[in-house]
Amino acid sequence: MARISIPTTARLSSSLHVNPSNPAVAKILGRLSRASLISIALDWLDERNLPLAAPYLRREDTEEEDDDEEDFYPPADSPAALQELYTELQGRKGSKKDVLDRITQGDWRHGLSLYQLAMADLQHLYDHPTSQTWSAYRIVPLKTPPRDAEEDAPPVVDKESLTVPRFHPSTFLNTLQAQVLPDVKAHYNFDRHKELPLLLLRIFILDSPYNTSLGIATSNTPAAANFDMSRTVYIAFPDASPHIFISKPQTLGSPAAGVGGGEVKSLRNLIVEGIPKALSRPRHRITLNSTSLTTKNLVEMLDKRGAKRTNSAGGGWSIYADEKIKDSPLDTVLPTPPLSERDEEVPIPEDEPASRKRALSPGSQREERTAKRARLVARARFGKTARPDDGKGIERVDVVIEDPFPQDTGEDGMAEDEGPDQPAQKETGGWRPNVRLTFHGTHVFAGIRQLVEGGIIDGERMPGWMTGEEGITVGAVRNGRIRGHKGSGV
Amino acid sequence: MASNLEDEIERLQVRVSTLKKQLHIQTSTLIASPSTQALLAPPLKARTLLTLPEDSNPFHEKLLDQSVAQDAHKQQCLYRTCAAITTFRVQDPDPHAVDAGAVLGIRIEVVSRAKFLRPYYVLLNRPYADAGSRYLRVHRHTVPPCIPLDGLAARHLPPPPPPRSGDDGESEGSSRKKQDLARFVRSLRREIVRYHHRLGVVADLRKAAGLGRNKKPVGDDPQPGQLADISSADSEAKQISIEWTDGRVGRLVMGNDGEVVQLVALGDKGRDREAVRDLLGEAVRVDELARRLAAVD
Repeated sequence: MARISIPTTARLSSSLHVNPSNPAVAKILGRLSRASLISIALDWLDERNLPLAAPYLRREDTEEEDDDEEDFYPPADSPAALQELYTELQGRKGSKKDVLDRITQGDWRHGLSLYQLAMADLQHLYDHPTSQTWSAYRIVPLKTPPRDAEEDAPPVVDKESLTVPRFHPSTFLNTLQAQVLPDVKAHYNFDRHKELPLLLLRIFILDSPYNTSLGIATSNTPAAANFDMSRTVYIAFPDASPHIFISKPQTLGSPAAGVGGGEVKSLRNLIVEGIPKALSRPRHRITLNSTSLTTKNLVEMLDKRGAKRTNSAGGGWSIYADEKIKDSPLDTVLPTPPLSERDEEVPIPEDEPASRKRALSPGSQREERTAKRARLVARARFGKTARPDDGKGIERVDVVIEDPFPQDTGEDGMAEDEGPDQPAQKETGGWRPNVRLTFHGTHVFAGIRQLVEGGIIDGERMPGWMTGEEGITVGAVRNGRIRGHKGSGV
Repeated sequence: MASNLEDEIERLQVRVSTLKKQLHIQTSTLIASPSTQALLAPPLKARTLLTLPEDSNPFHEKLLDQSVAQDAHKQQCLYRTCAAITTFRVQDPDPHAVDAGAVLGIRIEVVSRAKFLRPYYVLLNRPYADAGSRYLRVHRHTVPPCIPLDGLAARHLPPPPPPRSGDDGESEGSSRKKQDLARFVRSLRREIVRYHHRLGVVADLRKAAGLGRNKKPVGDDPQPGQLADISSADSEAKQISIEWTDGRVGRLVMGNDGEVVQLVALGDKGRDREAVRDLLGEAVRVDELARRLAAVD
């Protein structure tokens, strides 16, 4: 352990230990459930992780006899013994606090390495997949500036480029480190997402010029404040997709502890500026463009910005992207039209309405017919997307309506679902009220679909952006269409 | 007991669905067969001409409709099988869609391992109709992001020259060009087919090296020259990473047409040119390499 801390530009080493009494440790570990705590403890004891997550063990050649009787958690003899112990804990019932105390005061009393903290943090992300807010950015190649170009000429996006950006984790990390300012230290940890085709990079940023354990010690208060100012940012690289998802930076300290929203924003900007530089190569420059998609749901993110066919075929267009449909030209069986009865996935029980039908009045029959029609329209507009249980919920959509106010119907459109249902054919360019719609919920587009199915929204007059087919969460509507989006198409 | 019953129900349901499928196949075969057509079409026509409407069986009408639909489908299938690129028309369900929702669909067939894959679709519309221009623009598509569709569209389907109607401003160079849909689709298809061929070659390499799906376990004493893993290393499947059992790693860069652009192997002591020579031999193209590997094993 180094005695002197010298400011450097190097990154924080994974093996740096953080004192378990540090509030950050309690905070990171405290968020995990008991089962997750035990499972990451077992992960730490795994052979591959042991060098960076060594537990506190009894030494044979102890010069300091410190296993006193009062030690509540006597040190184990070997990692294998500890492994057994935690496996046993797994089967037993108990409180989370027991396990937490055992980790911080017992088996890792000498400190947890930054690597361990990173693993714990990632475990939290796996346990709570919606705990981060992600924004999608598109990697766009820039034109190589001509030789005689002025120095500060703004780079031009090369729209005609045919190269698909390529990404190599370790090279990327080295160049990214070079972009980070020297008075900020960061710890990087790559991990493969357990279920999704993603490579996650966790960046743990510390406001300290030192990269030794003294820099993150807690003995003196300013250093503790350092930790309070630390931030965690995740960057997710989806496989085979020219997009990057960046999470909103999170502070470990209390939000009131001086870290304003502005600073968090500037950090994000710093990263957004740094990443393209880190991804660029000589004579091959790229930049990041926002794609107006921000959500907590990574599955949805991968659906709209991933490697599959669904990127620019959302909503009703998803029938073209559905890989489950077998559509071989050698199959001579007449395909059923997509909206016919036979195609319906959940067939309406046929005998039940039939038996009831006789007793029904013509009025309720008509009702039934309209309800069925509404269901079919919803299927036509949404396809197989926007189902409440598909796990692809977007929790917030903001839309600005820039259309002139329709003359006939007076509607203020205050965040109501029926607000945008306006023909907007007037060319007079009359009064344009400032209408902003915010849809909020666990699964916004599934909610709209349900409203269409329920006949509350007229599915045939509903504008296309309400189906979620644009794949964006922030947008402006002009002439009933989302304008200037970069999500779908070109 | 309950599980038994559930199992039986499940089995029966599976059987029902297979029987239904068979029924569809038989129906379409029967309906498409020349004898049925001969039986169906002329007498029915004659009868409807001769006899009164009440005699015309609604069932026959339905059958005739189905036969017509089957004919159309057959023709479509024929075109799709032979032409690889086919077009169709789509109605955009969005009531505010440009050009009254008229959308041109392009279907690109891909064959891989002797099977037609789900085709790729590109849907184009005409958003510049206000300016009196019939220029097309990619509206929706199902092409994966590893195919540079945006770049191809910018090259072959540039937006119309100004007067700009408040749309996105374009650089002057590209706006002078004419749109060329045929070239766009041709080059797009070439990219897609190349991509699938590259994927296929990687799979061939794996198979040739004995790393197929049911990977045979590496023995206790792996030979030094044995390959441990072959996989595509980037989204376009242009780079292939190769791993040997003794820890050496290599990278093969594949050209557009499947030629080996470069192959580098790294061992403990830096570049391992011998391994490259051993692996590559006389092979110039990646499929030759695959054949070579298959012959060695």
